[in-house]
Amino acid sequence: MKSHDRHLKEKPATRNATYHFRLFVAGDEPNSKLARENLLRLCEQHLHGNHRVEVVDVLENFQAALENNVLITPTLLVTSPPPPVMVVGTLSDTEKVLAALRLNGGE
Amino acid sequence: MSKQTQRKRKKDAGVKASELRKAATRITGLDEVLNGGLPEGRTTLVSGGPGSGKSVLGLEFLYRGAVDGDPGIFVTFEERAKAVRQNALTLGFDLAHLEKAGTLFLMDGHVNPELVLSGDFNLKGLFGVIEGKVKAMGARRIVFDAVDVLLRLFDDPVRERNELYALHDWLTDRQMTALITVKTSKNNNISSRYEFLDFMADCVIELDQRVLEQTTTRRIRVVKYRGSDFFRNEYPFVIAENGIKIIPLSTISLKHQALGPKLSSGHPRLDYILDGGYRRSSATLISGTSGTGKTTVACTFVQAACARGERTLYINFEESPDAMVSGMLSPGIDLRPALKAGTLRIMATMPEIVGAEEHLLQAIQAMDAFEPSHVVVDAISACKRIGTEQASFEYLMRLTNTCKERGITTIFTNQTEGFQETHEISGTGISSVIDTVIFLRYIDIGGELNRMLLVMKSRGSKHSNQYREFQITDHGIEITDVFVGKGGVLTGTARQEQEAKEKFALALEQREFELKEKEIIQKRAALQAHTANLNAEIEAAEAELAWLRLKSEIAQKDRDIRGNMRGEETDSKRLGRAATPGKHRTGGPKGGAK
Repeated sequence: MKSHDRHLKEKPATRNATYHFRLFVAGDEPNSKLARENLLRLCEQHLHGNHRVEVVDVLENFQAALENNVLITPTLLVTSPPPPVMVVGTLSDTEKVLAALRLNGGE
Repeated sequence: MSKQTQRKRKKDAGVKASELRKAATRITGLDEVLNGGLPEGRTTLVSGGPGSGKSVLGLEFLYRGAVDGDPGIFVTFEERAKAVRQNALTLGFDLAHLEKAGTLFLMDGHVNPELVLSGDFNLKGLFGVIEGKVKAMGARRIVFDAVDVLLRLFDDPVRERNELYALHDWLTDRQMTALITVKTSKNNNISSRYEFLDFMADCVIELDQRVLEQTTTRRIRVVKYRGSDFFRNEYPFVIAENGIKIIPLSTISLKHQALGPKLSSGHPRLDYILDGGYRRSSATLISGTSGTGKTTVACTFVQAACARGERTLYINFEESPDAMVSGMLSPGIDLRPALKAGTLRIMATMPEIVGAEEHLLQAIQAMDAFEPSHVVVDAISACKRIGTEQASFEYLMRLTNTCKERGITTIFTNQTEGFQETHEISGTGISSVIDTVIFLRYIDIGGELNRMLLVMKSRGSKHSNQYREFQITDHGIEITDVFVGKGGVLTGTARQEQEAKEKFALALEQREFELKEKEIIQKRAALQAHTANLNAEIEAAEAELAWLRLKSEIAQKDRDIRGNMRGEETDSKRLGRAATPGKHRTGGPKGGAK
């Protein structure tokens, strides 16, 4: 029953679902810049426009970071599809990020 | 000129203040050890093993500050904010209330274990978040709890160090009074991994939990404090309701209240010996070997004090409340009414159960709740079983000092061993805080063992220096004078014999007095009788004399009459009538008429 559920969920996730990303950065510091670039490239290469990216600068909007328990920058929060996933770092390790998005090996 | 000096003084004060301002923690005893508090605007490191109380220390620092109107931020990396709130409640800290008021903020820095790492990162986000929150709240105090959990994400000692330095710099730039806690452990290399923190921080505090003689004790030690004096010893502390309590022995300030008026000891004769009784807020030690009646003397006071409506806390290390109350019924001391009225509270506890700090805390908590006028500890000799000799000494010293600060009268009993062990009388070295010492002992005279009582010392009042015989009867204690003769003091039967002898001698003497008094009365009566007799004789003689005079007058008259008859009147007229005028007048004309 359960595995069936997961199967149903994963399918639309890989094919049709829109990815909602929230990227927390700290101004223009190098790691944050790098993360932004890496995320854009990843979206272009693997999601084909099927995504929405929101960039939050914690130096300007600390409240949003607080609400999401983000203390390290850069942090990528995948809010949709569920369950939410948190990826910390410059996202330079593409394999790992794709695994976190359950996209590795699919395409 | 005065303005100038004023300005100069102000400047001096300003310089000093910027050099070393302290943020009071208001944690019981900690500010004394830190000589005022944590360094303001600087970073303090608190290290210690698991369960040593690091988080509580940090949390209490913020809590007490927030209650006092100093906003603070608590960043928790290990526990979830919800758990912190719950733990705080068990200590009696209502964090939610302060959070609502905006004086405390719990930041959940708990690292999600499912977090995916991909590439490099840093703590800039943390700084950004804190920066925003600090500005919004106007916070000056911040605590990073278990920062090592966050740093472990870097998985690189060099990166950890760099990020911590960055954090330290950031905090220093913003003049935050920060407290960072780090786990240390002697078993692995974690402590050496964070050793550099000791150099970085301006103040380093070490917490430790250890087992001493089967009892767990917590210790706190300030390792370093840049630019400030501090107390360098290790101090025991407890975590209990209301947080951390450190009672540094070496900082016990002499805030004792002056000895108050005299309080009856419950026995008139003992009051007389003590020149009125025990003094309020004094400490009295009743010392003696087993069975000499220490508890009885103490309970005599307790009964009297409770009857006067003065609340008394009885800390009993020797027996249960029931055993004690029924035991006291035998010498006629009934403590049940006092217990019923609520003026007496008996706190029976086994010395071995907990550590000295815990015992002290229990006693202080009982004092806080019950607000007694008097505290009895029976017996301090049992305190040695709390742990080490040092632990029992500290316990008693602190308890006595606490009582004296609150103006509470304390009575300690102390069981000495052996018959002549006078050096033990003063108890475990606490004699300097003891005002009155009552010494009870046995004395072996004439095949009897009798009890003796001596007031050895009584500060602030004169007292008898004589041994008294002391008896426990079924209606309380009884104190009698002893006889001091050639062979020393006499008690028991020997005393009674001597008493009989003296009584007889006294009776004899009395009899002699009575006899002499009677003799005097009799002599006085005899004297009076004699005087009466003589008076009667005098009266008789006087009567006789009057009769003789009368007789002589009559005879003269007769002679005159006869002379007239012989015509002698002319001669006598010629010779001068003055010579015998009476005769002439009476005799002449009359005789002539005749």
